[in-house]
Amino acid sequence: MLGAEVTFDVALPKVVWGWLVSTNMWAKSISTGAFFVGLYFIKKYPDQDAFFRKWLPILGLIFIGITLLVTILDLHHMFRFWKIFLFAHFTSAVTLGAWVVSAYVLILLIAFWSWVTGNRKLFDRVVIPGFIFAFFSTIYTAGILGQSTGREVWIFSAEMISMLLSATLAGSAAYLLIGSIYGSLNEKMKKELGYILFGSAGLLAAMFIGELVFAKMHSEYAEKVVEILAFGEVAPWFWGGMFLAFIVPMVLVGIATEKRKYEYALLGSISALVGLWLIKHAWLIAPQSLPLS
Amino acid sequence: MRLGFLVDLSRCMGCMACAVSCKAENNVPLESWRLRVKYIDQGEFPETKRHYVPLRCNHCENAPCERICPVSALHYLPNGIVNVDHTRCIGCASCMMACPYNAIYIDPLTNSADKCTYCAHRIEVGLMPACVVACPTHANIFGDLDDPESEISKYLQEHRDVMVRKPELNTKPKHFYVRGSTVALDPLASERPEGFTLFTEVKFLEHIGGH
Repeated sequence: MLGAEVTFDVALPKVVWGWLVSTNMWAKSISTGAFFVGLYFIKKYPDQDAFFRKWLPILGLIFIGITLLVTILDLHHMFRFWKIFLFAHFTSAVTLGAWVVSAYVLILLIAFWSWVTGNRKLFDRVVIPGFIFAFFSTIYTAGILGQSTGREVWIFSAEMISMLLSATLAGSAAYLLIGSIYGSLNEKMKKELGYILFGSAGLLAAMFIGELVFAKMHSEYAEKVVEILAFGEVAPWFWGGMFLAFIVPMVLVGIATEKRKYEYALLGSISALVGLWLIKHAWLIAPQSLPLS
Repeated sequence: MRLGFLVDLSRCMGCMACAVSCKAENNVPLESWRLRVKYIDQGEFPETKRHYVPLRCNHCENAPCERICPVSALHYLPNGIVNVDHTRCIGCASCMMACPYNAIYIDPLTNSADKCTYCAHRIEVGLMPACVVACPTHANIFGDLDDPESEISKYLQEHRDVMVRKPELNTKPKHFYVRGSTVALDPLASERPEGFTLFTEVKFLEHIGGH
């Protein structure tokens, strides 16, 4: 007797978490990335930090707002969202995330007030807790994916690094984009933002390619997921994301920083942000495309 | 008390009486299932065999769904059942993502997560779960795993081929199978693809084939 295959099954619906969750992760990357990258420039160039002191809270609040909105819209009982605070179950990364993001929003509001009133010291006082809450806001989704026991290609440690790199990629792309539109960044800063974007894209691309090669060694299930991701129904999203999030920005931002043609950086940033959504979506839905039965 | 389930796969004939009785007992919506029977065909004509595997919540001792639920809507009962509190569920579907057995669904009528509860409402009044009652061959064996005199405990003691689904995930399921085969529980395991693994190169000889 050779082989075996499932000939009848009525598995439950495939994709449980769809584009709303992809958008959650994407918007959160921009928000926390704007915080990390903005903080780096505020600390490094304290005399020329007006641009970052303005845009850090604005970008942070807009995109964390989008994150929270899509999170609540994705709930089947959206008006019961408050229960996550009243009946908090702290073994869940979802609960930890809700609390940490709430604290992060508070820090962003303080940063916004600091910019509005011109009280620089106010923001400086919350920099350390702000960094901690931004860090954990970035990685809590990796915790959720790690707790998704059935989806074997999602491994907490890899997802955590991937999400931190997504944040620096998205944050640098967002600042390059805003900087190109308003023309308020000096050349040194543009160049440095370009390096952050280039480095993040390169490392993130290496992680995804590494996962493609090594994830399939975990189990037969992981092998199938990689097949779906690379050659199956999710492949257009995945390879589209790889091209737009990593290859195009690396080439365009590379040209922009070396040839000092910063209009290329604008295109590279847009490409990075669009591609990041695509690749996050592909990575989210590929493991859900196989019935766990 | 630690309630558990055992399915004697040699007795199951795929009649689906358990699945139908479960739907009727628990008002399970049309597109959802708390219990379903999967068919797995093995072999090549004329040497073929069909396996029937009833699938339901495994009521794991280390339940990933309980751990990930942000509001404790999924919780353990003192008798080991992993139960759902529909009034508390916020419908985030994390439990569906965490369950490695695809045993949880969102009920379209209540918008809350739902799954097999071993018919907790029947057990409470001394009745057996609906699927156990409906099974014409007594393939479903239900009882207290802590009681050495219970039918399920005796079955577990007498059989050496006790299996659970995905034991490597350390969820400690309280749902067992006997007289089955690896391919019945994990059809993907029947095919080990060629290629490199971390330490070896898997390559099949032509006369043996890839399975």
